[in-house]
Amino acid sequence: MGTVHARSLEPLPANGPDFGALGEEAEFVEVEPEAKQEILENKDVVVQHVHFDGLGRTKDDIIICEIGDVFKAKNLIEVMRKSHEAREKLLRLGIFRQVDVLIDTCQGDDALPNGLDVTFEVTELRRLTGSYNTMVGNNEGSMVLGLKLPNLLGRAEKVTFQFSYGTKETSYGLSFFKPQPGNFERNFSVNLYKVTGQFPWSSLRETDRGVSAEYSFPIWKTSHTVKWEGVWRELGCLSRTASFAVRKESGHSLKSSLSHAMVIDSRNSSILPRRGALLKVNQELAGYTGGDVSFIKEDFELQLNKQLVFDSVFSTSLWGGVLVPIGDKPSSIADRFYLGGPTSVRGFSMHSVGPQSEGDYLGGEAYWAGGLHLYTPLPFRPGQGGFGELFRTHFFLNAGNLCNLNYGEGPKAHIRKLAECIRWSYGAGIVLRLGNIARLELNYCVPMGVQKGDRTCDGVQFGAGIRFL
Amino acid sequence: MSLVAEAFVSQIAAAEPWPENATLYQQLKGEQILLSDNAASLAVQAFLQMCNLPIKVVCRANAEYMSPSGKVPFIHVGNQVVSELGPIVQFVKAKGHSLSDGLDEVQKAEMKAYMELVNNMLLTAELYLQWCDEATVGEVLEDVDQCCQALSQRLGTQPYFFNKQPTELDALVFGHLYTILTTQLTNDELSEKVKNYSNLLAFCRRIEQHYFEDRGKGSSSIRSS
Repeated sequence: MGTVHARSLEPLPANGPDFGALGEEAEFVEVEPEAKQEILENKDVVVQHVHFDGLGRTKDDIIICEIGDVFKAKNLIEVMRKSHEAREKLLRLGIFRQVDVLIDTCQGDDALPNGLDVTFEVTELRRLTGSYNTMVGNNEGSMVLGLKLPNLLGRAEKVTFQFSYGTKETSYGLSFFKPQPGNFERNFSVNLYKVTGQFPWSSLRETDRGVSAEYSFPIWKTSHTVKWEGVWRELGCLSRTASFAVRKESGHSLKSSLSHAMVIDSRNSSILPRRGALLKVNQELAGYTGGDVSFIKEDFELQLNKQLVFDSVFSTSLWGGVLVPIGDKPSSIADRFYLGGPTSVRGFSMHSVGPQSEGDYLGGEAYWAGGLHLYTPLPFRPGQGGFGELFRTHFFLNAGNLCNLNYGEGPKAHIRKLAECIRWSYGAGIVLRLGNIARLELNYCVPMGVQKGDRTCDGVQFGAGIRFL
Repeated sequence: MSLVAEAFVSQIAAAEPWPENATLYQQLKGEQILLSDNAASLAVQAFLQMCNLPIKVVCRANAEYMSPSGKVPFIHVGNQVVSELGPIVQFVKAKGHSLSDGLDEVQKAEMKAYMELVNNMLLTAELYLQWCDEATVGEVLEDVDQCCQALSQRLGTQPYFFNKQPTELDALVFGHLYTILTTQLTNDELSEKVKNYSNLLAFCRRIEQHYFEDRGKGSSSIRSS
């Protein structure tokens, strides 16, 4: 909760110390031990002043919006709780390194007998922070430089820049973020990026240079994001032996799309949640704001978690999506869906399920994938309470299917196609949680329902990532 | 590609006969293809016609990105992709078709020399015209004139450059001269230079009639001034 200092409500002697006004450091004086013990919970109080120490470039209006609730507290416990919430909101702005709360009785001529002063002692982040890393990957080394300018103009705007210079590819990203003062969940950001990727399962290399603008806002319990994105995509073959189907997709194209995403997340954590549900629905319409790719794409992700006896968690997830090209041009390999891999249907090689040509996987226009998981603590609970808590054992059943749409046949035929020849797998393994961002898995998988052309990875499979089926 | 890889590919190529669905890819006619690329594509088409190998021409906007070397035209035969006239001639030779088998070593060397001449002079002229198009075009035209003179002298009154059988040199010369003669440019001086040599004109017309119009191809034909 940070540091909360509280003193008794007895007014101090008239010649007591002065408490600092805004801009000065508040002094803390020890109270004599014979002060009366008060039962503080039910005492009515009024918060008269809220002070801020340590503001530099931050403007007043955004601060005032975040701490407005503190004035509404009616008793001491509420004051402590509202101050704590205000502290959390101030930290969420991402402009302070530290926020301490000091609750004190009110002094001065207009002090009421039950008046309180709340002081927030804040330390702003520096104007510019930077980071420099080197990374070594598959036959490639790169230098990554990151720059962050938090609270650029005083209202929690943030500019981040990341630049990665590697032996094979370079990429960069620049982003500007601005929240609405008083309403941090409504925010606006503009991004500029160049990203390169190599996809050996399709023998494809992709370079995207793009700009995007997005606006997020909450509606009741859901969070919505509306985005426009313009991307100049360059596709090429990764090797001389790429299949002709992939070779035909080489070249440049321009995608300009509008998309909308809705997220409802009631889980207690995004990695290994114990309870709650997640629903994400995303739709994208390309081609109506320019560009030479035209499609409508819909995809969703659903996850439900329930805690069971003995500290175990049962989790189900369902993913699906459909891509409908508009006009007579066929869909591009860069827009289609892929299935398979340690973060998708386990037991199959990365993105190596479904339509393929000469060993290169081309993706599909419609897919679904589902999983049932049982997470339990490690047997015999080694390292309980410490390191052992980061691990879980994991039993799973995954299934999914991927296909292309052929419009002559109609929706019933597509549903039938997605329901036949289902790929599925089962197995068990160990999951390691990495902070609150990622997880590692080591599983033993048994793939079933393998169709001709799919590449499997039966036996032990290792996976690292953020989003798992 | 390394020598070993090339040798390996040739072995594989030699094993299969020429399929019916062999395709040649070039950029879109009319709005996209450039003078030099058009010449190169025609040269390859003429060469394959002379070898009596069926080929279908497909125009795609991303043809130069599809090509493994970045240059057009390229052919897709079976599951092999080969681009540019030189490698295509090699590839076709590995399959057992060749136009220059009947030539002796001296003639082969001569043929190579003439092909280099065409590439250096005519190709450079085309590139200059399509990119620079300035008033200082005098030198370029001089070169073209010299090249045409050399070709005209070599051709003389024969139907093809070497005896009565066409070779890849004929295909290359046809590709370039035909393109120069039939493409509308802002500057007609280049095609005027070529038209000065009547035996070259006759040569182009002969190949056009024999290999293209006969098979129902050829949208633009040579008009004599």
